Amino acid sequence: MATIWDADEVKSSRQSGRETVLTVPAVTRPTSRHRRRLGPGPAIPFGLQIGPALLVLLWVAGSAFGWIDPRILSAPWTVVEAFGRLIEQGRLQDNFVTSATRALLGLSIGLVIGTILAVTAGLSRIGEALIDGPVQIKRAIPTLALIPLLILWFGIGEGMKVTTIVLAVIIPIYIHTHNALRGIDSRYVELAETLRMSQKDFILQVVLPGALPGFLLGLRFAVTLCWVSLVVVEQINATSGLGYMIELARNYGQTDVILVGLVVYVLLGLVSDGLVRLLERRVLSWRRTLAN
Amino acid sequence: MAPHLGQLTSATKTVHVRNLVRRFATKTILDGVDLDIEEGEFVALLGKSGSGKSTFLKALAGLDHDVEGTGTLDTPENLSVVFQDARLLPWRSVIQNVTLGLPGAAGQEAGGKALAEVGLEGREAAWPNQLSGGEQQRVALARSLVRQPALLLADEPFGALDALTRLKMHDLLRELCARHRPAVLLVTHDVDEAISLADRILVLDAGQLIEDLRIDLPSPRDHGDPRFAKIRTQLLSRLGVETPGRRAA
Repeated sequence: MATIWDADEVKSSRQSGRETVLTVPAVTRPTSRHRRRLGPGPAIPFGLQIGPALLVLLWVAGSAFGWIDPRILSAPWTVVEAFGRLIEQGRLQDNFVTSATRALLGLSIGLVIGTILAVTAGLSRIGEALIDGPVQIKRAIPTLALIPLLILWFGIGEGMKVTTIVLAVIIPIYIHTHNALRGIDSRYVELAETLRMSQKDFILQVVLPGALPGFLLGLRFAVTLCWVSLVVVEQINATSGLGYMIELARNYGQTDVILVGLVVYVLLGLVSDGLVRLLERRVLSWRRTLAN
Repeated sequence: MAPHLGQLTSATKTVHVRNLVRRFATKTILDGVDLDIEEGEFVALLGKSGSGKSTFLKALAGLDHDVEGTGTLDTPENLSVVFQDARLLPWRSVIQNVTLGLPGAAGQEAGGKALAEVGLEGREAAWPNQLSGGEQQRVALARSLVRQPALLLADEPFGALDALTRLKMHDLLRELCARHRPAVLLVTHDVDEAISLADRILVLDAGQLIEDLRIDLPSPRDHGDPRFAKIRTQLLSRLGVETPGRRAA
């Protein structure tokens, strides 16, 4: 939709530009000829930054004027101090590395399993009969509800944590990749048949590239889910990691440390989403030309 | 899949069809079609929509999986299809589309040559989305030619193009066919297109061939030629359009 609105804007702005050149100043344009704009209008510069900046400003003002009790929410400068202290002590780095390792391990394993399941279910009827049902059932169970069972099976060590993340990540990867595979135009299948392509060529040239947009969409959801699951498993049963650091700070009432943890989570979430989008733009450059 | 009996029965016949029947549920789409196409012969197939043109073409191309039917159907192994839409993979560059499924460096070279033949030299690295409709259809032609087909099946290949581009594409197709000499079966609803390109015109109606007309006009053919007009009137009447002199749209 956005591109259509954009195109309309370009057209109408060109037209109005031409009209201002042509109209004699004395002649006022009849208002009835002015079409009401239904789109959201031109973009505001730095529009996306305004909301967050306003929130930070409120926080600064609230803390400076004493409206916010530091026991409820530490002042921004206290948080910055805590940030420096945690880095000096090495606690932030250590916990970050522990958390990132868990997240990356879980994400990578989940990616591989989810993709294999999706391709198997998408390309063969037997695969679909065996895989699709169980995955849909798993999808209906919140991953976090599985944690008690996973603790009984895997204990409270790294195995349980990584498994929880893997189980969470598989679902969006599977759903979106499978959906994209199923959505590949049957005309391309017909084409591959007339070109007498081999099964291998068909999968490599038609199926996988065709399903790539779906896979990448799934990946974006998976990355977000992977951080969410990480937080939960680390706050339930852990002796290291960002979630553990936050949980510990809650025990001592250190809102500044909690906030440092949250800020790190925000940065991780935004950076990883940005990375996936960058990847998307690189890999799907054939689609960008369409948007242009 | 409906019976598809492999190799040729006669050396000069590229296509040999006898008593071909195709059915969807209870409806008979092709009702006993007989057809021979010689090597290098350019045949156009006209018909109203619903006459069974596309079903016939799909049967020849071996694309009619799960369709019930009987009859003898001999087509060469090496055939190419040009569809109404160019049917290029949007995620593959132009040259990759042309050489799709062809092995190695020899394919690359042949692909480049085929692109040059259709006048798209230098556009190898472009994405299909960056090309106009006519250019995309040229790429589809190059993709078919690079396989040196004995039989070229074309399903209304210019139907989606504007009138000017269509005329240019006619010239290109005529030129390419003269050079490579594949047997051609061109399915079209455009009577003028059929007359200006084909050696022979068939009319399919309700699943049966009701006309088999040899066109002996010199090429390139002049639309203003009275013989051209006469053939047009004759074909239009076979198609159920009884207004003499009216041009087929």
